[in-house]
Amino acid sequence: MATRARVVRMETPATTGGNALLVLVGLGIAFLLITALLAAAKSGGPLFNESNLLYVALIFYAGAGALYMGFGVTGVAKYVKFASVATAIGFTANTLAVAHRWYLAGRPPFASIYEMLLSFVWTVAALTLVTEKKFGVKIIGSITMPLAVVCVILMQLLPSEVRPLVPALQSTWLHVHVTLAMLSYAACAVSFALAMMFLIKDRFPTETFLALTSALVSAVYIAIVATRFERWGGLSVTAWDAKENSEVFLGRGVRLFVTVPDLGWLFVMATVASLVPLLFYFLARVHKNAACYELANKSIFIGVLLQVVVLAAFVLRVRDASYASPYQEGLYATSLAASPFILGGLVTGVFASLLYLMLLWRRSDLEALLPTTDTLDRVTYKTIGVAFPLLTGMIAAGAYWANRTWGSYWSWDPKETWAAITWLVYAGYLHMRITRGWRGRRAAYFAILGFGVVIFTFLGVTYLLPGLHAYA
Amino acid sequence: MVSDIASIPKRFFNTLSNLRTGILLLLLVVIAAALGTFILQRPVTDADKLLAAYPPTTLRWLDRLSLTDVFHAWWFLTLLGLLSSSIILVSIERFSNAWRFYARPYRKTDSHFRTGVQTKVELPIRRADDGLNAADRVLQKLHWPVERIVDGNQTSLYSERHRFSVMAVYVIHASLLLIFAGGIVDGLFGYSGYLMLRKGQTGNVIELRNGQKKVLPFRIKCYEAGQENYADGSPKKWWSKLAVVQDGKEVKTKEIVVNDPLVHRGLRFYQASYGPTGVEGVKVVATPTGGTAREVMLRLNEPVELDPTTTVALAEFIPDFFIRDNQVFRRSDDVVNPAFRLEIKKADSNEAATQWIFPAYNPVGQGQAADYRFEYRDLQMGYFTGLEVSHEPGQWLVWVGCVLMGVGLFVAFYMVHMRLWFVAVPDARGKLVLWIGGQANKNKDRFEQKFEDVVESIREELDRASIASRSACKEEAMLTLAAVK
Repeated sequence: MATRARVVRMETPATTGGNALLVLVGLGIAFLLITALLAAAKSGGPLFNESNLLYVALIFYAGAGALYMGFGVTGVAKYVKFASVATAIGFTANTLAVAHRWYLAGRPPFASIYEMLLSFVWTVAALTLVTEKKFGVKIIGSITMPLAVVCVILMQLLPSEVRPLVPALQSTWLHVHVTLAMLSYAACAVSFALAMMFLIKDRFPTETFLALTSALVSAVYIAIVATRFERWGGLSVTAWDAKENSEVFLGRGVRLFVTVPDLGWLFVMATVASLVPLLFYFLARVHKNAACYELANKSIFIGVLLQVVVLAAFVLRVRDASYASPYQEGLYATSLAASPFILGGLVTGVFASLLYLMLLWRRSDLEALLPTTDTLDRVTYKTIGVAFPLLTGMIAAGAYWANRTWGSYWSWDPKETWAAITWLVYAGYLHMRITRGWRGRRAAYFAILGFGVVIFTFLGVTYLLPGLHAYA
Repeated sequence: MVSDIASIPKRFFNTLSNLRTGILLLLLVVIAAALGTFILQRPVTDADKLLAAYPPTTLRWLDRLSLTDVFHAWWFLTLLGLLSSSIILVSIERFSNAWRFYARPYRKTDSHFRTGVQTKVELPIRRADDGLNAADRVLQKLHWPVERIVDGNQTSLYSERHRFSVMAVYVIHASLLLIFAGGIVDGLFGYSGYLMLRKGQTGNVIELRNGQKKVLPFRIKCYEAGQENYADGSPKKWWSKLAVVQDGKEVKTKEIVVNDPLVHRGLRFYQASYGPTGVEGVKVVATPTGGTAREVMLRLNEPVELDPTTTVALAEFIPDFFIRDNQVFRRSDDVVNPAFRLEIKKADSNEAATQWIFPAYNPVGQGQAADYRFEYRDLQMGYFTGLEVSHEPGQWLVWVGCVLMGVGLFVAFYMVHMRLWFVAVPDARGKLVLWIGGQANKNKDRFEQKFEDVVESIREELDRASIASRSACKEEAMLTLAAVK
């Protein structure tokens, strides 16, 4: 009886205000497409090149994301269907972008971090569509689409020109290795999204999601403030040489930082704002006081607004401006391209908070759309069952290739080591599940942890830990 | 007490053969490996960089705990060893059960077993043979192997597919051990080093990673080496033409590039780097007074004979010179404004005549008189090719392990051990039915679909058979009727 009541409640708003967002998102997509078309026409370049296609994919992925969010706010089930259509169109554009780049370079696009993100986003979108259609996990896109959007934004900023391959990369094994990596990482991403869905369906307390979300956001801001806050409230960012299309280097591997005045305070404020919900959460836990949860939820809402302000301020002040550096005289240009990870972190924070708000406001509708916990658990396991052999193959192909290039199949390089750690984490998951019968939540935690390690291996190692694996 | 002491190894083995211990070890390996990536490691970092990165006391402690060389530390290797032992022991402990299951699958269909099976169906039949034969025919058609099991006075059918998939997990673990074994063999007997050769040079002494030298039982000669660039100047290809020289004879030649090494007697030579060694010499034209000109190549301190009584040598090379007080000085090490000092010796005297060449101003040598005139032609730049040399006798174990693991994982994840049992028994109300039971070790939902399909085919087969037998009856009746007529 209860389910029927919920279904009725879901369908009623569809007749009244249900089309407003569809029209809005539709207009938004149309507007962005027309501006892009005009810009492309004005520049006189070819219309269907890779970057335009990628832009189209971004627009549709973002549209899909907006529709999923819209579903979160209004609970109109129709949005999900349209979001799925938008995902499919974005996927088509993405496929064409990959194909065009492949055609231009005369080789599969797997050589730089930009090209890998391109293939990664493609695989994530493909798996999203498969999971939706085949396993009926309709709203998986609400997690994977924001992920795709973050990746595409990162890609817009990373150097994208087709570069010739350095000698070490001229090998068939490159393609084998990277294809396997992208497939398995994308499968890991989907298993992560499914594990999240499982937790939602499994009535995992909303309050814990609150704590996790604000912990993630706080971690991002604390990391930025700890490493980039300068005296007198500035924020240091890497200087950018637009002519060379690269960061400004003082010496080998030493980047030149410039200070954007006053921006640091804004970040400190956002950090505090992201810590407040966490504080209220702990107060609520200690005092067993539900009113504190209310406060925590309100402060997360305020936090999102502040995060959007920070993001806007960061984009406006860092994009194409010049600032002084404390290390060397003169003014140096900055660009968003020089700080992809701050930007990526900020966008991730906003998305994570919005996803939480969606959960907070529309939990019952979300649950109604999800298949049973058993199905979700099984599909999560199945995706890991796909990811793990691929991960194994990726490591083996990488080892074989390293043996042909560097003369050693294993050299404990950070990237290698972290790939092995990822493998071991998933191996742990499989053992716990198969022999100890870990099902449900504990398995879901493991799947989430596994994806965290994957992200660190893919992006964190490249930018934080130096090593042989310098290409990506 | 005695029994206590005696039980210590047993307890140790019991702990090690516990899966929980295995997982704990796995966790420890993960943590140690992660530490090894966060802390700068000595083998791949310059000593100065380490000193700059950590305060001296911290560095001393990191060194003492081998945290600056985690992956070669005794405790890390011990952890890996314990993990492998744990894999072996856990596998052994579980293997006997699994093997029993594998070697003697349960084929019988007693009533106790029938209640336990999850997936089952009952189809009404008239005679026991009808049902079993129909099932037999369907299974044959679907290429399922069928066994007839006679248990007392009851006959049943048993059919299964992919039984080997239950052993895949042991293949996976064995393959992991094989990979470890390869790593151990290479750790004990393998070595790797670096061999730098100039064009035309022959060498057999490689510098190992730990700074020691090793003499190879044969020599490597570098005939030619080079670099090709893309249009934008970034390197496209490095290559070297190498030859293996054994006992003065060339036994093998190969042009190697970055991804394609030369292999000889288990040693592999990789193209690792290529670059200039600097100026190697100078090419000059020597003309004797009233004689014919001759081009000679002069290398530092290597006298060249011009005629039986005269030799010339490059005594000094200054890449960037300036002159003060009639003396030649070095300004920098960049080859922008070179100067050469030649020494010309006569066999009958100890004195040597000195001439300077400053090519930027005058290509002809100036200085003390000699019977020759020297004119600058060309700088001879030297290039080296850097070869990574490695001997990894255990690598084949690693590759076999990788392939085996791939196969094992494929079987373990995607090959389902499916079993079907068929027996004719009376159902709860005493009517004769064909009882069909099925079981799969994974992917249960897919199996249930398959089970349904098989049952459906058998149902159709039963219908067809009964129609056939009914029409046969009818035919017989007609014949009897005809006979009566």
